[in-house]
Amino acid sequence: MSQAALDTSSSWADAENDLPATQVTENPDGTKTIVSYKINDQGKKVKVTQKVRLVTVKETVDPAIAARRKWSRFGEEKENRTVGPDNKTTQFGEEVQLILGTSWKEDAQKEAEARKKEMAQKKPQTIICRTCQGDHFTSKCPYKDTLGATDATSATTEQPATATPDPLSSTAPGPGGVRYVPPHLRRRGGAPAPGESERKERDDSTTLRVTSLNEQVDDIMLREVFNRYGIIKRATVLRDRETRRSKGIAFVEFDNVLDAQRALEGLNGRGFMNLIMKVDWSKPKKN
Amino acid sequence: MMRPLMLKGHDRALTQVKFNREGDLLFSVSKGKEASIWYSSNGERLGTFIGHNGTIWSIDIDPETVFAVTGSADFTAKLWRVETGECVHTWTLESPVKRVEFSPDGNQVLIITDQVMGQTGKIKIFDIDHTKNAQSNAPWLEIVNQDGPASRYTVAGWSYGGFYILAAHADGKVSKYDAKTGELLGSVKKQELLLTDLQFSPDRTYFVVSSKDKSACLYDVDNLDLLKRYTADVPMNSACLTPVKEFVILGGGQDAREVTTTSLSEGKFEARFYHRIFEEEIGRVKGHFGPLNYVAVHPKGTCYASGSEDGFVRLHHFHKSYFDFLYDVEKTAQATQQFEIEAK
Repeated sequence: MSQAALDTSSSWADAENDLPATQVTENPDGTKTIVSYKINDQGKKVKVTQKVRLVTVKETVDPAIAARRKWSRFGEEKENRTVGPDNKTTQFGEEVQLILGTSWKEDAQKEAEARKKEMAQKKPQTIICRTCQGDHFTSKCPYKDTLGATDATSATTEQPATATPDPLSSTAPGPGGVRYVPPHLRRRGGAPAPGESERKERDDSTTLRVTSLNEQVDDIMLREVFNRYGIIKRATVLRDRETRRSKGIAFVEFDNVLDAQRALEGLNGRGFMNLIMKVDWSKPKKN
Repeated sequence: MMRPLMLKGHDRALTQVKFNREGDLLFSVSKGKEASIWYSSNGERLGTFIGHNGTIWSIDIDPETVFAVTGSADFTAKLWRVETGECVHTWTLESPVKRVEFSPDGNQVLIITDQVMGQTGKIKIFDIDHTKNAQSNAPWLEIVNQDGPASRYTVAGWSYGGFYILAAHADGKVSKYDAKTGELLGSVKKQELLLTDLQFSPDRTYFVVSSKDKSACLYDVDNLDLLKRYTADVPMNSACLTPVKEFVILGGGQDAREVTTTSLSEGKFEARFYHRIFEEEIGRVKGHFGPLNYVAVHPKGTCYASGSEDGFVRLHHFHKSYFDFLYDVEKTAQATQQFEIEAK
């Protein structure tokens, strides 16, 4: 703050911008009011009024403990000049819950059951009929004749979503018999296909690729391992489309690059469920 | 909710973590070659003890926090000055050292040597002279395992006053020796498999023994009576008794080599809280990625530390709700007591 004041006073253009001196007044209730002036980022003069109360906190400490607090570091920490805990060795973990109670087990069981149900519901449909969305091959669909050609149905289901019936934006030739539009020219007028936009816009700079992952690891466990490094936007394990077996590859997207960097450093080469994980950037960094 | 401190001082699996008497320092040893010393209040690392050439299996601190002793797989036990981190004495033994512990007055140390490579497992007691660095290399007392390798000593500790030595065996037996003469005073076998840890209550009149048979048992020092049994669903590596609240913290989990043979390891690497009297599990704390090898509680009961196979020490400071927890029967008992006092 004093630096800022000095800079402005030395500047010829702001000669009149001299800042008044700081005033300290003692209030009858034992507090102090400090009025100071400074120039903020926009170059405007700002008056800062602070009300301060000084409180002396007495802490009684065992003399032996107090003496030990003053010990100097030794061994591997001898050269470490960090004041207080060094975040190389000491970090805060994510919050953990300890709810004490006799019903603890039932609660946990309920939770586990709920999760199981959820998983069962989530059980992915590996085969989806394009005609009726049932779990059979499209060619074997019982409604094949009644619902008509697959292309037509997909068109009719998509049409209401795109409000403007632009002939170029439709993916398939409509019933009216619009002439053939090659795939790369479709949707030129309307919004780009959702897949395309995603591919273009998705920022991979905060995404890590994890390989040689244990097959047992699922998204939740992956999250548990990675979330101590920061907020995770997305954690997905790649699975075989048919068997749903893990391919041992996963992608973890962090909220910011620093966290991702730390996770990379912290977890690359670390054993997890008996395999040594390899963690790398999702795509090579362009520098 | 608690936010644990994660202490990453070791590259390899933790073997033991321990607080000093006042609880301001936390000592941790691992399968790496160094011991780490931490301030328990903020997790700052004070330093490391450098000098061992193998896994350090055990560490203990004398009551004054002047000396620390470590026992290692490199066939040595070392005495360290805690303030400076220098090694002041080395005992060379004939087999790996599995456990070390100071007597309650700090004037003696017991060292368990493993029963491997044709050696007989022993509990050796050495005198500690606090006035000088060099210590006597001749044991003051030796207790030799008489029962063959299947029941070798795994862990041991001193009872109240340093009168007895309680030793746990690999076959689930617990035996009691006179600390002055080495005479066997009694033994009891209530657990099945390898006993992994033995920790005393604050007054050292009873102790808890954890076992690979998925249980932990509470014994009384005087009669070796089985007081309580806490059963879990995975092998237990450690158990400790909390001061202030009457809980037992158990730590364990499947062995690393067994993880692959089971479907899902999820939910096994947790610290489990049992009520000491009701023998009932009342809570769990998640967080580790590997089995817990040791749990230790602050002597004032304000926090606990767990060291795991995953190489982390997690230091948890208890939240107020932990201290407020009471069983319904305890609450009614308190209420009636209060009522009686008021009636008078």
